[in-house]
Amino acid sequence: MTKQSWLLIALTAAVGLSACKILPTPSAQGGDNASSSAFNPDKMVEDNWASKVIPYLQQKAGPFAQVHALAKIDPAAAGSNYGNPKKQANSPWTFAVRLEGKVVAANTQSRAATIDVDVDGDGKADARVQIGPAMRGTALRDSLDFVQFNDFTNQIDFAQFGKAFNAYVDKTVLSKLPRDGLEGRTAKVLGAYTIEGGQDLPLVTPAEAEIGPKP
Amino acid sequence: MKLTRRMTLAAFAGMLAIGTAMPAYAADLIAIITPSHDNPFFKAEAVGAEAKAKELGYETLVLVHDDDANKQSQLIDTAIGRGAKAIILDNAGADATVAAVQKAKDAGVPSFLIDREINATGVAVAQIVSNNYQGAQLGAQEFVKLMGEKGNYVELVGKESDTNAGIRSKGYHDVIDDYPDLKMVAQQSANWSQTEAYSKMESILQANPNVKGVISGNDTMAMGAYAALAAAGRKDVIVVGFDGSNDVRDSITSGGIKATVLQPAFAQAQMAVEQANDYIKNKKSPEKEKQLMDCVLINGDNAPKLETFALKN
Repeated sequence: MTKQSWLLIALTAAVGLSACKILPTPSAQGGDNASSSAFNPDKMVEDNWASKVIPYLQQKAGPFAQVHALAKIDPAAAGSNYGNPKKQANSPWTFAVRLEGKVVAANTQSRAATIDVDVDGDGKADARVQIGPAMRGTALRDSLDFVQFNDFTNQIDFAQFGKAFNAYVDKTVLSKLPRDGLEGRTAKVLGAYTIEGGQDLPLVTPAEAEIGPKP
Repeated sequence: MKLTRRMTLAAFAGMLAIGTAMPAYAADLIAIITPSHDNPFFKAEAVGAEAKAKELGYETLVLVHDDDANKQSQLIDTAIGRGAKAIILDNAGADATVAAVQKAKDAGVPSFLIDREINATGVAVAQIVSNNYQGAQLGAQEFVKLMGEKGNYVELVGKESDTNAGIRSKGYHDVIDDYPDLKMVAQQSANWSQTEAYSKMESILQANPNVKGVISGNDTMAMGAYAALAAAGRKDVIVVGFDGSNDVRDSITSGGIKATVLQPAFAQAQMAVEQANDYIKNKKSPEKEKQLMDCVLINGDNAPKLETFALKN
């Protein structure tokens, strides 16, 4: 190998290091259908959580009542304010929200455990918050405007990246929450939810969550 | 007599030559290549693409590759040879197809892929695929709920060469494996085939009479499995499929199969033709090559609204 090509490699490596980029570069030849060995979604989430994900959600999230009211009449407007305007055209909108209220019901029998939270104080649940360990959907991933499907090799990598967010939140936040006597306590959540048909309540996936002491 | 025939042939050849020499008088051609129409899903794709192409004033050439990469390569040659202006393709293998699509590109014929991805970007103009992983997660979540989060289950997997078989299986397990009380007692490929699923299900059931649910990689296998279960007097077993076919819709509404996941096959094929049209007429490529279309869960609540791989409003 010539001196010049070594220099080129060194330069490329340097550029790669300095460019603070969260996403994997798409490989032209995937070869195997499964994820390439270099792709480590858990590490990508861990590395970017505190530096990019949380600051983004904190900056982007709107109060739940406000976001949901707008989402019901104009999802696209709510999406561009509180979500990822560059999402796949046919995907539903996902919004970053903050939510504070009282737990009016809890389902901790299921492994996909949830709490129903009354935000406006009328005694009725306004949102359902996932508290793990099993979690549905990819709302956290889909709320981020710096994550695009086209930056991934294939839909498996993209999906595993989505799941890695849920796993990370479960490990670092949700597994530490109390599980008993949740009704009547206060809950404070920063997270995201996706508009879906046939849902009783908006299903919020937390990035941060606190549950207050027993009243 | 002989002379006339020869003259007719010559005249015919002459007409052919004129036909190809004066393309301005003939409508532009779009080739539509899919797997076998035996599976109503692929048929819906071809029908959807053809209808949209005709609506936009194109002639169509509808071909099937039967999931054979060699045959697919020949069909692409045919499309190039016939002067197709674009190819709409549901491909026969994520790796094997790259060279075939490249060949078309080199010949100046753009390809618009539907349903299945290939393992390369920058070769096709568009890859419009169902979000199979998202769809599988929807199906698996419904399956977990129906199973009450516990019990023995069987997974029927699709054809190995088709990326979607693996993607759906991974999507299923991504959800189901979070529930330790759900135990997979058998996992077998039935190659997307109804008859193969029937016989596989028969023998699985003999070995595992205590099976409570079956999650299937597509609807034709779900139909086969349910038929085998019904024949064995085991209609209590929960079956969930994938595709959103009319057959499974009818089974759901009559209390047989419990759920499936709709892939918007018809809409996807039409969208590919619209993008091809835009490319042919305006030299405009879609903003993104890879485009994901979300799937929709179909169960007793919305099954009556399902018709030929689309939900009516």
